[in-house]
Amino acid sequence: MPGLRDLQTAFAAHLGGEDRADLVDAVIGDGIAAASRLRVHRHHVRRSLEGALASTFPTVHALVGEDFFRGMAQAFTLRELPRQPVLAEYGEGFPAHVADYGPAASLPYLADMARLDWALNLAFHAPGAGRLRAEDLAGVAPDRLVGSRLPLAAGATVIQSPYPIDRIWRATRPGALPEPVSLEEGPSALLVLRRADDAGFLALSPAEVSFVLALDGEARVEEAAVAAFSLDQRFDLSATFARLVAAEAFAALQQKSPGW
Amino acid sequence: MLPAAGIGLRSPHFAEIARDRPATGFLEIHAENYLGASPARDGLDELRRDYAISVHAVGLSLGSVDGVDERHLDRVAALVEHLQPALVSDHLAWSVAGGRYFNDLLPLPYTQEALEVVVRNVDRVQERLGRQILVENPSCYLAFAHSTLSEPEFLAELARRSGCGLLLDVNNIVVTAHNLGLDPIDWLRGLPAPVIGEYHLAGHTVNDADGEPILIDDHGSRVGEGVWTLFGEVVRRFGAKPALVEWDTDLPAVDVLLAEADRARDCLNAQEGADARAA
Amino acid sequence: MNNTRIAIASALAAALVLPAGTSQAQGNMEKCYGIAKAGKNDCQTAKSSCAGTSKKDAQPDAWVSVPKGACEKIIGGKLTPS
Repeated sequence: MPGLRDLQTAFAAHLGGEDRADLVDAVIGDGIAAASRLRVHRHHVRRSLEGALASTFPTVHALVGEDFFRGMAQAFTLRELPRQPVLAEYGEGFPAHVADYGPAASLPYLADMARLDWALNLAFHAPGAGRLRAEDLAGVAPDRLVGSRLPLAAGATVIQSPYPIDRIWRATRPGALPEPVSLEEGPSALLVLRRADDAGFLALSPAEVSFVLALDGEARVEEAAVAAFSLDQRFDLSATFARLVAAEAFAALQQKSPGW
Repeated sequence: MLPAAGIGLRSPHFAEIARDRPATGFLEIHAENYLGASPARDGLDELRRDYAISVHAVGLSLGSVDGVDERHLDRVAALVEHLQPALVSDHLAWSVAGGRYFNDLLPLPYTQEALEVVVRNVDRVQERLGRQILVENPSCYLAFAHSTLSEPEFLAELARRSGCGLLLDVNNIVVTAHNLGLDPIDWLRGLPAPVIGEYHLAGHTVNDADGEPILIDDHGSRVGEGVWTLFGEVVRRFGAKPALVEWDTDLPAVDVLLAEADRARDCLNAQEGADARAA
Repeated sequence: MNNTRIAIASALAAALVLPAGTSQAQGNMEKCYGIAKAGKNDCQTAKSSCAGTSKKDAQPDAWVSVPKGACEKIIGGKLTPS
C-alpha cells in the first residue's frame, strides 16, 4: 500500500512515459487492465497540452497541419510540462523548441512565427489600462514632449525576422487567398500590441524599429528620433508618432515625472 | 443563489452572450482562464452586471500531497475578491506534483491519509478565500486497490471535517459508476443533502479500452438520457440546487446550450413544486 | 532649442493634430487574437484519451511526418526534411 507521496510521484513518472510496475499494482484491473486505465490519463495529459499549445500557436499549427504539430508539441510536452495551472502561460519555451526541432528544419521561418504567436498571446493577456492616449498629450507642449521618455505599454513588443512574417501570418488566416508568399520578400519587423478587444500588430520600417526600440530602452524622444533619422533620412516622425499614439503603443505618462 | 440552471461560459460564445444577454440562471467560468488581464476579463466585468457568476477552478489541486500552490491560490483569491461570485468550486483530484502541472484531474486513493491531505488543502483554500468552497466528484477511469473509503464516504467526511460544500456532477457519477462497475443509485446513498451546493450536467462519450466500453467525460455532446434520469433522482433526494450545463468539446450554438439548461431548470422547478405541495 | 530639436517638436505637434481615428492614424493593424481564443483551461477529458489503450502508446513518428498545411503557400521552404 503506497503512501500518497510515493503514489503521486509514481503517477507523475507514469504520465511522463515511464513504466511503473508499482503504480500498475496499486490500480484495480478487471475487464480493462490497470495499465490501460492508467493510459487514459497519460493520453489525456499529452493530448490536452498539445491542444493548449495549438491554441496558443495557431499560426504554427496552420502552417504545419495537425499531425506534424501534434508530433512537435508532444516532443515539447515530454521535455517541459507547465509549472503552474494557467495554460495561457504555458509555452514560453516552445519557439526555441521549434527552432531546434529537426523535422521542422525545412521551414526556417517557423520559429519566428512561433515567436509572433507567443508575443500575441502575451499582449492579449496584458492589462488594457495604463496606455498613453492622444488626448493625454493635448496639453503637453511639444518641446516638453521632445525631452520625455515613452516606454512601450504593457504587452507591447517588437518581433524582427529575416522573413516576411506578416505576409506569412496573413497567408495562414482562414479564407486567405491562395497566393504564395516568397521568403525572398525579405525581412520584417512587427510591433505586437494589446488592443481593446484583442491583440494585433503593426508592421514597422527599419527606422521605426530603431525609434521604438530606443524609446523602449529609456531614450528620450529626441534621442530616439535622431537615431531613426540617422538610419533613414526619409523617416517620417509625424506619421510614425501619430500611428503609434493612435495604436496606444506607449505606456501612460508617469503622473509625477519631472517636467510634466 | 436561488436554485437556477446556468451554462458554462466558453470563449467562443463570449461575444454572442455579451451582445444578446440571453436569459439563463447564471454563468460559470473556469478561474484559470481569467487570472491574466485580458479582454475576456474586461468582458466578464460587463457580464457580471447582468448575470450571477460561479467560479469553477480546475487547478487548485486539492489532492496534492505537497499542499496548495500559494502563488496560484493568491491569483484565484484576487479573482474571487474581484468578482464576488455566488459559488466557488474545484475538484476532488490532484494535478500538481513536484512543481509540475499535468492539466488532468488525477485520481486519489480514498484513504485516511488522502482524506487528511484534502481536508488540510481545503481548509487552506477556504481560509485564504474567506469563504466556503464546493468540492466536485471527479470522473474516474480507475480505482486504487488500497482505498478504504468509497468516493461518497470520502466526500461526506471531507465536507464534515472541512466545512466545505459538495458539487455533485451527475455526469461524473454515471461515468465513474460505469467505469468502476458501481451502481449509481448506491453511490448516492449516505450523501448529506444539506452540504450539496450545486449540480453539474454534461455529455460523455463511449470509447473502447481492451475491447470493453469505457465512458469518457469529454463534455462534447448533449446531456445523455441516462444522466437526465439520474439527475431526476438526485434532485428528488437532495432537493433543488443551482445546476450547470457544461460543454467544452465540439461546442454547439449558444441556443442548444441554453435549451439544455432550460431542461435542467424544468427539473428543478418540478421539484420545487413538489416540495411546496408537500409543505 | 537647437534646430533639430525644433524640427522634432514640430513633427510631434503635427502628429497630434492629425485627425484621430482616420485610417492613416490607426495604421493598418491586423486583428489577430480575439476573445474567442481566451479560454484554454477546462475540466473535460480529451475524447481520444483511450485511443490506443490496448496498444503501445500511439506517438506520431516525427521523422516520418511531413508538415502539411499553409506552409505549402510559402515559397523558399522545402516541404520535405532535407
